[in-house]
Amino acid sequence: MREKRRYILVRILPYGFMPDRKDLYLAVIEAATSLWGDVATGLAQPAVVFCDEGHAIVRCRRGTEGDIATALATVTAIADERVALRTVATSGTIRALKRRIRPARPLEETGEVVIGEDSFTTYRYPRQKVDLIKKGTMHQKSLFFTREDLEER
Amino acid sequence: MKATDACVCPYPAGDSTLARMALEARELGFDSIVVIGEGDGEPRDLRILRGVVISASSQKEAIRQVRKPAVRAADVVFVNAGDTAFNRAAAAVEEVHVIRNIHAARRGAFDHVAARTAADRGTAVDISLYPIIGFRGRRRQTALQRYADILGLHRRYDFPLTISSGARSILEQRSVREIHGLCGLFGMTEDEVTCALSSIGRLIEPYRPVRVVSE
Repeated sequence: MREKRRYILVRILPYGFMPDRKDLYLAVIEAATSLWGDVATGLAQPAVVFCDEGHAIVRCRRGTEGDIATALATVTAIADERVALRTVATSGTIRALKRRIRPARPLEETGEVVIGEDSFTTYRYPRQKVDLIKKGTMHQKSLFFTREDLEER
Repeated sequence: MKATDACVCPYPAGDSTLARMALEARELGFDSIVVIGEGDGEPRDLRILRGVVISASSQKEAIRQVRKPAVRAADVVFVNAGDTAFNRAAAAVEEVHVIRNIHAARRGAFDHVAARTAADRGTAVDISLYPIIGFRGRRRQTALQRYADILGLHRRYDFPLTISSGARSILEQRSVREIHGLCGLFGMTEDEVTCALSSIGRLIEPYRPVRVVSE
């Protein structure tokens, strides 16, 4: 008989970062194994079934979703890029979770700003949020401001 | 104050401004945060408390630092934990609100004497989530052991606990729900987490008998 599963919807921060599904899976497995060990992680059977629009859906066995959600809170990097995975909801179906996805797309107006000696590209998001991505580096340095913070500079 | 993140370090110490961290904290279920270090601005929909951290090698040094005007102006005074004698003394200093960095102290450095003093004086011990989120392997195991020891003493002597993310970035902040899960790793119950998240308010405005100031 097919086992019951649970699906966890997570939002990926920073906005605009689109990880490869396999890299995300490896990060989740590393976090879960490090926290709960091989046995518990193996029994929980975590897998990434969806990764798009700044969100991901992680599948696990029913009854282990609390443990996997805790492990997701300890993910700090995906493929050497600093990230955070914010649990949004847990459900028994992928379709129910996909209905809850609210992609955070940058507003039209992008710009440039210089802070100290560094030049940053600004991406504005709803709720006055502004992400600053440093130009010309492989592992990009990011700053997280608000619109008011930028206007004060 | 129902849910307070007891320590965040905004830009320039970290990569996120105070306003942005406040915005994220609000979305994550907090109604107040304690800010260590600089940070401009006063967000509208979240209470910001100013905190200061004292790092001292001796009790005398700690008392000297506590009496500085900058420290007196702060809402919340933290002291980094040290050895057993230091922690016993720090718990007894009236101006100290919270003993932090307990995960970095030796096992037993915060003992039953310090716990009893902390309970009598209303001094809290901080549970930082940073070692649980950011560390791996033996360092995280050590932190979890320390926190389990502190929790045992808390249950016996009933001194306050606070919970902090120690975040320097919005990427290091965690939601109230995630904090419940992370604190469950060393045995904290839902009620204990809820109580610890709200304890900063009781620390800065403790329950005291009513005093008649004029007749």
